[in-house]
Amino acid sequence: MGIRFEHVSYTYDARSPMRQTALQDVNIRLAEGALTGIAGSSGSGKSTLLQLLNGILLPTEGTVKVLDLRLSAGEKPPKLAPLRRRVGLVFQFPEQQLFARTLEEDLSFGPLNFGASPEEAAHSARKALAAMGLGESLLRRHPLQLSGGQRRKAAIASVLAMGPDILVLDEPGATLDQVSRSELIQLLHRLCREEGKTVIIVTHRIDELLPYADRWVIMHEGRAAFQGTVRELVDTAGKLPDYGLAVPEPIRWWRELEAAYGLQAEEPCLSPAALAERIAQLVQTDARKEQAYA
Amino acid sequence: MKARKAGRQQERAAPEDQGAAPVPAEKETWAQHAEEAADMVAWDNVSFAYDGQHADIDGVSLTIRKGEWVTLAGANGCGKSTLSRLMNGLLRASSGCISIGGIRLEAGTLGAIRQKIGMVFQNPDNQFIGATVEEDMAFGLEGLCLDTEEIRERITRYAGRLGIGQLLRRHPQELSGGQKQRAALAAILAMEPELIILDEASSMLDEKARSEMLELLREMHGETRYTLLSITHDAEEIFASQRVLVMDRGRVVADVAPDMLFRNGELLRLCRMEPPFRLQLARELEQRGVMTADGVTGAMLNPVVEEMRKWAFGSSM
Ligand SMILES: Nc1ncnc2c1ncn2[C@@H]1O[C@H](COP(=O)(O)OP(=O)(O)OP(=O)(O)O)[C@@H](O)[C@H]1O
Ligand SMILES: Nc1ncnc2c1ncn2[C@@H]1O[C@H](COP(=O)(O)OP(=O)(O)OP(=O)(O)O)[C@@H](O)[C@H]1O
Ligand SMILES: [Mg+2]
Ligand SMILES: [Mg+2]
Repeated sequence: MGIRFEHVSYTYDARSPMRQTALQDVNIRLAEGALTGIAGSSGSGKSTLLQLLNGILLPTEGTVKVLDLRLSAGEKPPKLAPLRRRVGLVFQFPEQQLFARTLEEDLSFGPLNFGASPEEAAHSARKALAAMGLGESLLRRHPLQLSGGQRRKAAIASVLAMGPDILVLDEPGATLDQVSRSELIQLLHRLCREEGKTVIIVTHRIDELLPYADRWVIMHEGRAAFQGTVRELVDTAGKLPDYGLAVPEPIRWWRELEAAYGLQAEEPCLSPAALAERIAQLVQTDARKEQAYA
Repeated sequence: MKARKAGRQQERAAPEDQGAAPVPAEKETWAQHAEEAADMVAWDNVSFAYDGQHADIDGVSLTIRKGEWVTLAGANGCGKSTLSRLMNGLLRASSGCISIGGIRLEAGTLGAIRQKIGMVFQNPDNQFIGATVEEDMAFGLEGLCLDTEEIRERITRYAGRLGIGQLLRRHPQELSGGQKQRAALAAILAMEPELIILDEASSMLDEKARSEMLELLREMHGETRYTLLSITHDAEEIFASQRVLVMDRGRVVADVAPDMLFRNGELLRLCRMEPPFRLQLARELEQRGVMTADGVTGAMLNPVVEEMRKWAFGSSM
C-alpha cells in the first residue's frame, strides 16, 4: 500500500494576496516498512509535506493516499481519527505538540484518546519515556519545565506511546546531544526492521542517516527533485549542489574511491567503520600487488 | 587567545588608515587597554535551583574575556540554557555573584546589563514581537535610538547576510523552521550587542544557512568588539570558537580548546558528544592499521587514499 502523493500542490493562504505555494505537483511514493530520509534546503517544503501525511493540511491540488485513505483536493476529507492514530507526526517544534499540565498527561493522552485503558496508557507512557532515555521523575513536570532537548524527547515519546504504524518525524535530532541523536536513529531503525514500522525522517544531516535509510527524497523549491535508493542517491549526488545541498562527506569519499579503484555497482560503504573496512581491503590488495611486482 | 592577538595585530598593521582617523592615539590605546582588561562575563560561585532545593546550577565560577568566542557544551538537561538565562537576569541566582562588562548584576543594573546582551533563544517562537520580519528587526533597533537610515541599512545588511532578504515582509509565524531561526538570529545580530548569546541558534539551519551564519559570526568576532557565547552540539560551530566550557549536571567541569575536546574520550562521553565523521573515519582507519597521521602503511599510494588521509588526520576543520 504505502504512501502516495499524486500531483500534490499545497498553497498557504490560497485565497489571500499573501499566498505561499509550498508544494508544486509533487509525485512521490514512500515505501511501507522502509526507513525514508527527506532532505532539502530551508523552505523547500519538507514540513508542509509531512503535515499532509496525517491530514493536518489537506492538498490544494492532487491526492494524498495514506494507508487505505484518500485525501483529495476539493473532496470532503474522510474521518481523520483513524489516520491520526496510525500516523504519528513529531513536529519540528515540540512546543507545538505538548499541551497538557504534566508530561504524564501528555504521554497518556494519545493512548487514552484511542481507547486504551488507564493502565495500558500509563504503561505505554512509561515505556516510551524510557525508550527516549528520560527518567520517570520528569512525569510530574509541566512540559515547559523541561530543557529544550528533554522537551523534544518528550514530544517524540508522546508519539511513540501511541504505537502508530507510520512514524513521521520532522528534524527530530535538532538540539539533541550527539549521543541522543545516534540513539534515536538506532531506535527508529529498530522499530522499522523489527516491528515493520514505516519511518519517515526529515533531516539536515544526510550523512548521519545514510547508513540507516533505505530510500531518500530530496525536496527543492516545493518539488520532489529526487527520490530513490541510497545507491541512486550516491550516483546522482553531483546534482545535490543544484538543490542547495552539499554533497555529504561519506558520499563524496565513496565516489572518489569508486573512481580511483574502478569499483562498480557495489553497495556503498557510508559509515566510518564500513568505509574504513573497505579502504583497508583496497589498500591491502594494493600492497599485495606491490609485492608481486617487487 | 589566538584570535585576540590576531585582532590586535590587525589594528597595528593598518598604518594607511591612521591619516583618516585623527584621534589622540595615546589616549585611545589607554582607554582600549582598560576596556580590554575587563572581563565581559565573570561568575563567582553562582547557584540556582528551579525548585529552590536541588541545584540546577551548582557553584559555577567562570570568566569570559572581552572579544572571546566561547562554546558552552554538555548533555541535554545539564544546565546550558539555565546558565544563559541567569546572565541577563531572566532567572535570579540564589547565591553567588554575576558581573557583565564590569557591572554587577542586581535589580538596579538589570536594564544596563540587558542593553549589553543579545540572546537568541532555543525556540525562535519565543522571540518574535513584530507582525513582519522587518518590523520585528526594526523593533529592537528602534530601542537603540538609531536613526531611520541606520535602521534600514542594518536590516538590509543583516537579513541579506543570513539569506532572508526576500522574507522581510512575511509574518514571522508563517515561515519554515529554518527561516524562523534565521529571522530570530538576524534581529539580534543587527542590534550588534556587546555580548551575543546563541542558544542552539543553528539547530534547524541547512548547511548553506549554517555556513552563512558562521561566516558572519567569524567576521563579527574578527572585529574584536563582540563577545560570543554559543550553546551548540555542532562540531563545526564548536571548532569556530576558541574555548569550550563543558557542563555536567549544573557544573562547569572543563575548560578546553575545541581540538582538545574532540581528542578527549572522557570529556566527549561526559557531554555526550561524538567526533565529526572526519575524525571517526581517522580513528577507524588507524585502528585497522591502514594509516596514521604520518602516512599510509605498507602500500604504494593511491592518490585518493593519500588525499583522504590528509583530510581525515588534518588538524583544522
Ligand atoms: N504557515 C505558513 N504560512 C505561509 N507560508 C508558510 C507557512 N509555513 C511555511 N510557509 C512557507 O512555505 C514554504 C515551505 O515551508 P516548509 O515549512 O514546508 O519548509 P521546510 O522545507 O520544512 O523548511 P525548513 O528546513 O526551514 O524547516 C516556505 O517558503 C515557507 O516560507
Ligand atoms: N522551568 C523549569 N522548571 C523546573 N526545572 C527546569 C525548568 N527548566 C529546566 N529545568 C531543568 O533544569 C535542568 C537544566 O535545564 P536546561 O534547560 O538549562 O538544560 P540545557 O543544558 O539547556 O539542555 P538542552 O540541551 O536539552 O537544551 C534540567 O534538568 C531541566 O529539566
Ligand atoms: Mg521544516
Ligand atoms: Mg537548552
